[in-house]
Amino acid sequence: MAAPASVIEIDSIVTRFGDQMVHDGVSFDVERGTLIALIGGSGTGKSVLLREIIGLQRPTSGRIRLLGTDVWQASDDEMNATRRRFGMMFQDGALFSSLSVAENVAVPLTEHAHVPAALLDALVHLRLAQAGLGPDAAPKMPSELSGGMRKRAAIARALALEPEILFLDEPTSGLDPTTARGFDTMVRSLVDDLGITVFLVTHDLDTLLTVVDRIVVLADGKVLADGKAREVIQVDDPWIQSYFSVRTMVSGSA
Amino acid sequence: MPADPAQPASPPAARLDREPTGAVLRLSGAWRLASLAAIERELTALTLPPHVSIDGTALVDIDTASALILLNHLKEAGIDVHQLPLAGFAANDARIVEQVRKRLDEVTTAMPHRQEGLLAHIGRETMSIIELLTGHLNFLGQTLVQMVRSLVKPATIRGRELTAQFEQVCLNAIPVVALVTLLIGVVVAYLLGLQAEKYGANIFVVDGVGIGATREFAPIIVAVIVAGRSGAAFTAQLGSMRLNEETDAIRTLGLSPMDVLVLPRVFALMAAMPLLVFVGDVMSLAGAMMIADPMLDITPTTFLARLQENLAIKHVYVGLAKAPVFALFIAVIGCRMGMNVKRDTRALGIATTSTVVQSIVAVILLDAGFAVLFQELDI
Repeated sequence: MAAPASVIEIDSIVTRFGDQMVHDGVSFDVERGTLIALIGGSGTGKSVLLREIIGLQRPTSGRIRLLGTDVWQASDDEMNATRRRFGMMFQDGALFSSLSVAENVAVPLTEHAHVPAALLDALVHLRLAQAGLGPDAAPKMPSELSGGMRKRAAIARALALEPEILFLDEPTSGLDPTTARGFDTMVRSLVDDLGITVFLVTHDLDTLLTVVDRIVVLADGKVLADGKAREVIQVDDPWIQSYFSVRTMVSGSA
Repeated sequence: MPADPAQPASPPAARLDREPTGAVLRLSGAWRLASLAAIERELTALTLPPHVSIDGTALVDIDTASALILLNHLKEAGIDVHQLPLAGFAANDARIVEQVRKRLDEVTTAMPHRQEGLLAHIGRETMSIIELLTGHLNFLGQTLVQMVRSLVKPATIRGRELTAQFEQVCLNAIPVVALVTLLIGVVVAYLLGLQAEKYGANIFVVDGVGIGATREFAPIIVAVIVAGRSGAAFTAQLGSMRLNEETDAIRTLGLSPMDVLVLPRVFALMAAMPLLVFVGDVMSLAGAMMIADPMLDITPTTFLARLQENLAIKHVYVGLAKAPVFALFIAVIGCRMGMNVKRDTRALGIATTSTVVQSIVAVILLDAGFAVLFQELDI
């Protein structure tokens, strides 16, 4: 395949809000077909970096290439073409509250793809099924959904256009552990079965230790560690040690 | 695996070959969401036998949407897609087709579209209006009881919240009220003047504007402004507090949202409205006076003397007396719509609009009621 192996290239990103330095030279690449997680303490700029990658917030300096497009140099047309090739799930779903779940999922399909009308319903239901929602959820309004269902509906909308990359902001926050593990399985299957690259920001240790291929740790504006879970755990850093120690404590007492 | 769409893709195609072992549907090219229309054309051009196998050797790639359209088409042609043999697919493409195949029945079962009949719609709307009105009545009752309680024990009134609201609904509203009523005064005097001039009855314009403005125009105009300004604000404030679970937090802290949120707003608006109506009275008379001098040769001195002589003070009192009643209804509607908003952002927008409409209708109805009442009482 001619497509470049790296679908996201982050090159010396610096972000400053007034006097506050958020990123001080963050660089890493993401290869196609990986499930990568970005972690870090509160205020280390995980969500800011995510917003910078998808073109919602401009970094102070540095370069971000997404699917080969330089996010902050590209023309509007180029960027819009790139936007159709990735999907984003916001933390609380950000479903359009005036539209039903089915209509929410249909928005990208009717706006950007010429889907035959007869097939639209089935395609919407397929997206819902991929995100783990049954057809009974389709006519519901977002206000009638539980938190977990809202997130699933948001994933269905993000998947609508067959994205190459799926960005997830805290996909399992606020979910009960059973639902959260179901989420992990679903996300893993998107990577394994459909070949989608998934980039998530999370705090969920279970997600990090079970389904994630690679973890990038942000601290003090830099990449503190980068690698597989078992490599990252070994890094000799107080924050990383205390972050993962919760897990050892629980399994130790069991 | 989704390929880079930047590279030129061969168009999707499907060909049916009849071979000794059975019919084979050979797929080729890139089957992608972007070319669904072309895929549908390819498929509808085929005449499919009841038994067929699928060969994906020449396939560049296939995505879930294309797999769905393919399998759905085969299913509608009466082929059992679950027994369908697949051959020659790349591993990742085969996984994608399997993913869709196992969900095919679930996603293609047509959902019955519920269509509500006209009669059912009228019935449901009527019931919701009745429900709304009884709810308002209920809330008005609660508010009145709580108001009496607070007045008996004034220590329970929240002074800071009350003054903050008063600043919002009264002081900050003075400029717009003054401007609008001034212009209304000019317009009414001008229109009355056009008629009165024909009969040489210029001076009666003063009487007309005096009674009209103080008794009707000023209270109504002010009420409409207040409904749009403060009524809508009450709904938006309380509604967003509810979305944010702040009203629940108030309850769990052992406080009553009625005391903390509703009463200060009701009291502030009831105190503010008569004052705003007074501003409206003065400004509309001033507007009339401004136009009377150049148009009708009534000097300000003559205007004021005539007003003094002929405008019975009861008209002003009637106008001012209506104000707190209008205020009570606007505040109650605004607060209740906010307190009862459904917990989503769209509902908040609808509730805010509804508050303004309901408040204005309520004010007009109350005013009509007052007109009849004062007529009967000979005031």
